[in-house]
Amino acid sequence: MTNERRFAAAAWALVAIHVAVLGAGFLAPYAPTSQERRLPFAPPTRLRFVDDQGRLQLRPFVYALVAQEGSFGAYREDRSRAFPVRFFTPGASYRIAGLVPARIHLLGVDEPARLFLLGSDGLGRDQLSRFLHGGGVSLFAGLLAASLSLGIGMALGTVAGFYGRWVDAAVMRAAELFLALPWLYLLCAVRAFLPLDLSPGLAFAVVVAVIGLVDWARPARLVRGVALVARERDFVLAARGFGASDLYLIRRHVAPQAFGVLVTQAAVLVPQYVLAEVTLSFLGLGVSEPLPSWGNMLAALRQYPVMASYWWMWLPGLALVPVFFAYHALADALRSRSRVLA
Amino acid sequence: MRYLWRRAAHAVLLLFAVSVFSFALVELAPGDYFDEMRLNPQISRDTVADLRARYGLDRPLPARYALWLRSVARGELGYSFAYASPVGPLLWPRALHTLALTGSATLLAWLLAIAIGVQSAARQGEWPDRLWGALTSGFLATPDLLVALGLLLVALRTGAFPTGGMVSPGFGELSAFGKLRDLAAHAVLPVAALVVGMLPVLVRQVRASMLAALASPFARAARAHGIPRRRLLYRHALRAAAPPLLSLVGFSLGSLLSGALVVEAVMSWPGLGPLLIEAILARDVYVVVGAVMASTLFLLAGNLVADLLLYAADPRIRREGLS
Amino acid sequence: MERRVARTSRALVTLAALLAPGPGASAAEELLVAPGDPRTPGGRLVVGLTAEPKTLNPVTNSDAASRDVIGRTTACLVCIDRDTQRTTPGLAKSWAVSEGGRRITLVLRQGIRFSDGHPFDADDVVFSFAAYQDERSHSPQRDLLFVGGKPIRATRVDAYTVAFDMAEPYAVAERLFDGVAVLPRHLLEAKFREGKLAEAWGLGTPPAEMAGLGPFRVKSYAPGDRLVLERNPYYFKADRAGTRLPYLDELLLLVVPSEDAQLVRFQAGETDLVGRVGPDSFEVLAKDSSARGYSVRDLGPGLEYSFLFFNLGEPEKRPDGLEQRQAWWKDVLFRRAVSLALDREGMVRLAFAGRATALAGHVTPGNKLWRNEAIPAPRRSLDDARALLRRAGFSWRDDGSLVDAAGRPVAFSIVTNASNTARVKMATIAQDDLAELGMKVSVAPLEMRAVIDRVLQTRDYDACLLALGGGGDADPNVEMNVWLSSGPTHLWNPGQAKPATPWEAEIDRLMRLQVVTMRHEERKKLYDRVQELVVENLPVLPLVAPHVVVAGKDALAGLRPAILAPYVLWNAEELAWKGPRR
Repeated sequence: MTNERRFAAAAWALVAIHVAVLGAGFLAPYAPTSQERRLPFAPPTRLRFVDDQGRLQLRPFVYALVAQEGSFGAYREDRSRAFPVRFFTPGASYRIAGLVPARIHLLGVDEPARLFLLGSDGLGRDQLSRFLHGGGVSLFAGLLAASLSLGIGMALGTVAGFYGRWVDAAVMRAAELFLALPWLYLLCAVRAFLPLDLSPGLAFAVVVAVIGLVDWARPARLVRGVALVARERDFVLAARGFGASDLYLIRRHVAPQAFGVLVTQAAVLVPQYVLAEVTLSFLGLGVSEPLPSWGNMLAALRQYPVMASYWWMWLPGLALVPVFFAYHALADALRSRSRVLA
Repeated sequence: MRYLWRRAAHAVLLLFAVSVFSFALVELAPGDYFDEMRLNPQISRDTVADLRARYGLDRPLPARYALWLRSVARGELGYSFAYASPVGPLLWPRALHTLALTGSATLLAWLLAIAIGVQSAARQGEWPDRLWGALTSGFLATPDLLVALGLLLVALRTGAFPTGGMVSPGFGELSAFGKLRDLAAHAVLPVAALVVGMLPVLVRQVRASMLAALASPFARAARAHGIPRRRLLYRHALRAAAPPLLSLVGFSLGSLLSGALVVEAVMSWPGLGPLLIEAILARDVYVVVGAVMASTLFLLAGNLVADLLLYAADPRIRREGLS
Repeated sequence: MERRVARTSRALVTLAALLAPGPGASAAEELLVAPGDPRTPGGRLVVGLTAEPKTLNPVTNSDAASRDVIGRTTACLVCIDRDTQRTTPGLAKSWAVSEGGRRITLVLRQGIRFSDGHPFDADDVVFSFAAYQDERSHSPQRDLLFVGGKPIRATRVDAYTVAFDMAEPYAVAERLFDGVAVLPRHLLEAKFREGKLAEAWGLGTPPAEMAGLGPFRVKSYAPGDRLVLERNPYYFKADRAGTRLPYLDELLLLVVPSEDAQLVRFQAGETDLVGRVGPDSFEVLAKDSSARGYSVRDLGPGLEYSFLFFNLGEPEKRPDGLEQRQAWWKDVLFRRAVSLALDREGMVRLAFAGRATALAGHVTPGNKLWRNEAIPAPRRSLDDARALLRRAGFSWRDDGSLVDAAGRPVAFSIVTNASNTARVKMATIAQDDLAELGMKVSVAPLEMRAVIDRVLQTRDYDACLLALGGGGDADPNVEMNVWLSSGPTHLWNPGQAKPATPWEAEIDRLMRLQVVTMRHEERKKLYDRVQELVVENLPVLPLVAPHVVVAGKDALAGLRPAILAPYVLWNAEELAWKGPRR
């Protein structure tokens, strides 16, 4: 695959993933917090196309699940009634982009059956709905944290590289300090220090802030390098001779160069930050209940009975692989591209 | 020589700054060790306050930090409330366990990376290269959390490997060889998880450096001379490709203590990671600071070693003086 | 002929020497005869500990893992049989209460020795009490040995008799001794005089420097990994056949950091016994049990009770809005409505996989001696809850949210400790239940220390979900600090100068009275009334009592699992292997 094609494929894959999680409200059959207490750890619902009489149905249908007496987590299908899958059906209300209220979902079935396409968790909540909503949380945590860290890195790196001398020394020493600390250890400690009983929205913001603030040093060093080089360029010296202000020089000459470097860096950093959010939530230091995130969904696997018996609980972890793969492909493509251009 | 001293002094200063930083950070978290005792209804308030005073938790922050610095000078690194012992003797055995794991994993990862990277570079574009490229991308995309959990599940299901810990119950009675075998059996899965995590970046770097070296004029000249392929690859090209790899070695060394946190936690390997997690939750301040300092020390030492190796290996740097 | 006689007599003497019982079984030794069936000695037992023991010092230990170890290496004077929950003789062979309950005199067994062979007598007992009560030792057990605010005075009456004098009559003084391990004076007195007792017997101490009266003694310790205990050849118990206990040669305590790792290693056969696992592990264990040769047992509800409680105190620093919110839950009707809305059956099913019992009062069905059977089972009724809220002056908006009389929407947070998944699940279920009443509840799982800090120190919380109980004794005296309004762990409003409400004053009176009442029937009547008051006024909203689930290999004999801690190891000296030795 040529570089252009690879870049396009990775970019489109990422766009598709992010659009899917943005549309979680519509695509998910249920609200991520609604519990069906009679069906904890229910296996994925089987979609059927052939009914008991052997006739083919165009519209898929499901049977309701009933718990088996005397044991936990064992179910059987109740074949007395078939529930057809309905499309564009009204369900739990949600907000499109957090603003516009809506109620139409892509899929659904009538009560009392449940459409658990990816099974249910320990509280009987639909895993597919939580997967989509949680994906939004984890992926956007990564994106926002990356924006923060790159923003800070850009600002500090530019200042350091452009002004040089003691400013440069101060910023670089601070950067060394942050780089010398083991990243994961630092994350845990910093997160544990901040109040943890925040509303889920605020907790999300705090996680993003912590990850972004802790890792500004690497982008800062890169931008500083760019700024140092740019500063000595002839046309910059000329512009200064003409009386151009520092801000103008930065905006016009340093920033565009830095931007290219930063975009490549972003493609490398975002998956790391997504993983950081997942790890923090897995350890219990991240996004809190009942807001789902791929990390706190994976935390259920820390219990051996869950890990060994309920395979559908692994899906949030497995989903990380294609996402990271796409980001890495994107990063590679960007790096090759910049090599070609430079 | 002066270079060495400067770098060492620099590292010490950094270590000091790190200690202040991490100490202040941990101090700001709410709650402390004696809180759980407070929840035990059989223990009176006076006794708990008594214990707090004894360990100096109600003295101001700078005083606590000064006390800690003095114990560092004595080699103790402060006092652990939970274990009622100086932090130093607590840390070193755990750090040793971690190093045993990460050391073997790093060695294995490097050997594999060199073998795979050199072969991929030599056969660029052919199917082995593509295969390794695909595998590497796959491994890179898989977080070590997932790998560790997955391997644990494999151990559970197959029973072929021990499912956690470092040694079996009967360890003390085994012969020396038996002990080694037992340790190795327990280390297989954690090491595998770590190697899978480290391999992709190393392979890529080796391959890239080798490609650059193979494309250079001297390599072409060597080929024209008729030097056999293997000697060319390993004796000549690899040598030339070494400098960027040496700084990577420095990074590998630097993350020996801190890189295995998640794997150790999932696989119950008794290393520094689980100790740190327990200490963070137990608010055992000095252990947390000690662990962070120990791993920072390694990071700094790793960077120093990388610089030294580079200095020793690359004559150009020696000639140009210090950059 | 003489030579043959000489040879025969020599042979007889050798035979007699070979057949004689182990070291130190002098005629003067008064062994305790254990009532169980005689079993075959030998073999090693491997048990997992969920955390690493922090110390081997009986005076300063405060964590469960250390207690597990120390409980095996030390012995108590009068012990609580975990199976029957009654006291049985230990190192003391008999005791007598006199002076209206202010004095208890213990008669010790004679001829007993510590694990290093040194003889044991009354001086060791007197020394032990002095050590625990001393301020320099900073012992968490110190408070156990204070009655009526004054330390219990231990005096030596003669070499094998000790008298204990208390400032007030104390109903069940004999139950105190279960938590007090007897220390060897010959090893620790010097340190005690120097004031360094608290630092003695850390984990690195060479085994030769420690000694105890328990069934085992420390053999070796590998940091972060395992602690090996070996048989104490001088242990004071024997079985009916005269074999000195313990049966096991070695007890190996493995540090297995998480409960799941415990399960895994047990199933793999690496450990032989699991003391207590979460109830939701039952299914996983039961699935493979016959194939792998072990059995899992659900012992029914333990003593632990989980509960929800609200901040009923007067915090000095007033976080914004807390006072207004407190006005809601300080009304008992609000608390009763919340209790009626909670789906306890759902919690049992989802948080404990069905292995728990819903609770109306705080004394669980596992506590047969003290439970007030007249208290009805808990029920759930959203309609009744809504009726109560209406009576209390609340109303509903069109969108279903609940507002108080002033029109403020009811919203608050529940804190709980993050490391306990069952509690987080219960809090999430409660959140969902209360949403049906129109309340907006958020769940805040925090680290345990942060939770305790908020509840006991800063009082900066709305509601909290925790658990208590689950210790080694079912007696109400154990929880005095919780139920007394001045108590430091009177969670919903700790350390009151005087009781804030009439019912708290009544509970104070009843609890103080039952401490000095001697007869069990009368004490029970008093405590029954305390339970009724708790159910009526709901300072805590009891939720569920988790069942105690234990598992052990089938080849292990002598197992008598109990719902009191330590669930399976409390009779470690009676455990043995059936069939061929390991």
